[in-house]
Amino acid sequence: MLEGRNAKNPEIIGFACSYCTFKASEMAGSLRMKYPDGVKLVQVPCSSRVDPAFVIKAVFEGADGVFVAGCHPGDCHFIKGNYFTRRKVAALKEMFDTFSIKDKLHLFWVSAAEGRRFVEKVSGMYNEIKEKKNAGKTN
Amino acid sequence: MKTGIFICHCGHNIKHTVDVKKVSEYFKRFPGVVVSDDYPFVCSEPGQDMIQEAIRKHCLDRVIIASCTPSLHEELFKDVLKKADLNPFLLRRVGIREHCSWVGDDPELNTGKAIRLIKAGLYASAHYVPLEEKRVDVVKSGLIVGGGVSGLSAALFLSKMGMHVYLVEKDAELGGHVRLLKDVWPAREDGSAIVSRMVNELQTRENVEIFTSTTITEFEGFFGNYQATLNTSSGEKKVTAGGVVVAIGFTPFDPRLKPELNYGNDNRIMTTLEFESRKDSLALPENPRVAVLHCVGSRDEQAGRPYCSRVCCINALRVGDAVKDRYKDSYVESFYMDVRAHPKGGEEFFEDTQEKGVLFTRSNISEINLGPGGVILRGEDTLFGEPFEREFDLAVFSIGMSPPVDSKRISSLLKITLDKDKFFLEAHIKLRPFDTAVKGIFIAGSCSGPKDVEESINHGRASALKLYGFLNLGYAFVDPFISWVDPKRCSGCRMCEKACVAKAIRFDEEKRIVHVEEAACMGCGLCNSTCPSSAVNLKGHMDSYIDDEIGALMEVM
Repeated sequence: MLEGRNAKNPEIIGFACSYCTFKASEMAGSLRMKYPDGVKLVQVPCSSRVDPAFVIKAVFEGADGVFVAGCHPGDCHFIKGNYFTRRKVAALKEMFDTFSIKDKLHLFWVSAAEGRRFVEKVSGMYNEIKEKKNAGKTN
Repeated sequence: MKTGIFICHCGHNIKHTVDVKKVSEYFKRFPGVVVSDDYPFVCSEPGQDMIQEAIRKHCLDRVIIASCTPSLHEELFKDVLKKADLNPFLLRRVGIREHCSWVGDDPELNTGKAIRLIKAGLYASAHYVPLEEKRVDVVKSGLIVGGGVSGLSAALFLSKMGMHVYLVEKDAELGGHVRLLKDVWPAREDGSAIVSRMVNELQTRENVEIFTSTTITEFEGFFGNYQATLNTSSGEKKVTAGGVVVAIGFTPFDPRLKPELNYGNDNRIMTTLEFESRKDSLALPENPRVAVLHCVGSRDEQAGRPYCSRVCCINALRVGDAVKDRYKDSYVESFYMDVRAHPKGGEEFFEDTQEKGVLFTRSNISEINLGPGGVILRGEDTLFGEPFEREFDLAVFSIGMSPPVDSKRISSLLKITLDKDKFFLEAHIKLRPFDTAVKGIFIAGSCSGPKDVEESINHGRASALKLYGFLNLGYAFVDPFISWVDPKRCSGCRMCEKACVAKAIRFDEEKRIVHVEEAACMGCGLCNSTCPSSAVNLKGHMDSYIDDEIGALMEVM
C-alpha cells in the first residue's frame, strides 16, 4: 500500500462541484455505497472553477483518468457556470485527442440527489479505464 | 509552519476500515507537522479541548481535521479555532468517512486512500492565508412562499418574534389543502377551522403583509438581502427580505395517470378527498359495497412515484371507518400493499377499523371496469396468489402526494436543489433537515417530502426559528470566498468581465485593469479559471491550493 502506485489499479482524479456532485458523493458515502478507492475527489466551488491546467496537471502527474462533474445544465447554482465548463472540456478533449488520450477525460452531470448515479458514473469510468490499462492499450 | 493533524475514529465508523494509528504515525515524520494525533471523537467536547490545547501549546498555524465530510461540523471546528485565537480559515477539513471508510471495505486500501486525502489537505493548506469573515447587514424580514399550514405557522412564528413577514400565496385563499379537509386525523377537527384560526391571528398582526393570487417572478440578491419581485393581482411589487421559507406544499396525485383505473369516467370512482366532501350527499344503496384502494400514486415505480406518501393509509382507513359508521351492514373491502398507519395512534386506529368489520385484502388491482350494477375490480390476491374479480357500488382511491407543480420553477428561481422525486432536497437529511444549500433559504412542509398536518406545522415553525436565528442580530458573517485581482498581473484583456455571470467584474478605463465588486461576487471562480495571466484569484480556492492538492493525490508514496 505504501510502496508506490499499484500498477494495475487506475488512479482517477475528479473535480466535483460543491453544490451538486460533491453533495452527491457525500450522499453516496452516507448510504454506504461502494466505489473503487482509486477515485479521489477535489472539491471546487463550481465546475467552472476547473482550470484546464488542473486537468492537464493531473494527467502529467500520472492520473489514469480525470473527470469534471457538476450540476445538470440549467441547474447551476452560479446560474450558468456549467455551460462554461462544458465548452472548456470540449475544447480540452479535442486537444487530448491529438495526443490520443481522449479517453482519459470525462465530463458528467450529477445532481445533489443522485448519490447512486455518482457511484455508477465513477465506477463505470474506473472499470473502463482499468480494462484498457490492463489490456495495454494505453500506457 | 506548524501543522496539527487530528484524525477522528468517529467511534467505529472510520476506525473499522482505516488504520488510524498507522495514519497518524505516518504524518509524524513530515516536516512542519508538529502534532499528529488520532482521537475517538474529535467533535466531542474533550476532542475540541484537545485541539484548542494543542493550538496554544505548539502555536499551531494550520489545523487539519480528518473526520466526517467537510460540510458537517464546519462551523463547530471554525469556532474551536476562533476560541484558540487562530484564524478560522487556516482550518482544513478532510472527509475520510463519507469519502473513504464508508465507500470501501478493504482496510489496507482505505488506509492508503486516507493518507492520500490527508496529504492533499496538508499540501493545500500550506498555501492558506488568513481571511477575514465579511460582516454584512441583514434585513430583519422573512419571505414565506406558500400559504398552507406550514407557511402560515412559519409566518405566525416569525411575526411573533417581531420580524416583518411577507406571505405569498398563489391561490386566492390561504390554507392550502388542509382548508378542504373535513376532519383532520387524529383530533377530528375541521381543517378549515384550523386554518382560519391561524389566518385570523395573522391578519391582526401589523408586521405581516399577505399577498394572495401572487407569484414570484424574479429573485436575486444574497443572504440577508434578497430581492423578490412579486406579480400580484394589482401589478408588480418588489420586496426585500433577509431570508426565505419555501412551503409550497404538494399536488395530489392525479389518478388519470393510471388510465386502467377508469378514474374520471364514472362518478362511482372517486378519491378520498372527493369522498370527504361528498360523503353526505352520496347516492348509495341500503347496504353499500365499497372498495378502498391504497397506494394509488404511492410506491409505484411505473407511475414515477416510488416513495411512500405516509398520510394516505390513514386516509384510506378513515374512509372505511366513515362508511361503517354510516351503514352498519355495509361491505367494505380495503385493497392494500402494506398498511403503514404512520402517526401516533395510527396502529390502534387500524385495529379499530378491522374490528368494525372492514375487510383487508393484500392485493394488486390491475384494472377497474364499469358495469351496469357497479364497478368491477380485477386484481390478484398476493397472499393466495389468486386472481379475483369483484363488484362494488363505490371505489375510493387513497391518492398519494406528488411534488408541487411549481417545484421546478421555484428551484431554478431560488437556486435550490430538487431530489430525484422533484421534492426539495434538504442540506442534510438528519442534521440540517430544514436548510437548503443556499444560506438563508429554508424549506418547510410537504414540499420536501410527504408529511401530515402536524408535521407540516412543526416544520414551518422550525424553519421560521432557524431563519430567525440567522437574522436576529441584524448582521451576519458571510464566507469571504470572493475573487481578487492582482493589479500587477492584469493585462486588461477583459475576458473575465465577459465571463462573469454576476457582473461583479468592472473595467477601470483609467488604469486599464479590472477590479471586483465584492458585494456582487458569488464566488464561483469562473474568472479565475478564465484569466490567461492568472491575475484573478478566488480566495479560499487559489490555483496553488488545487495544484498542490492534485500533486499530493498523485504523489508516489
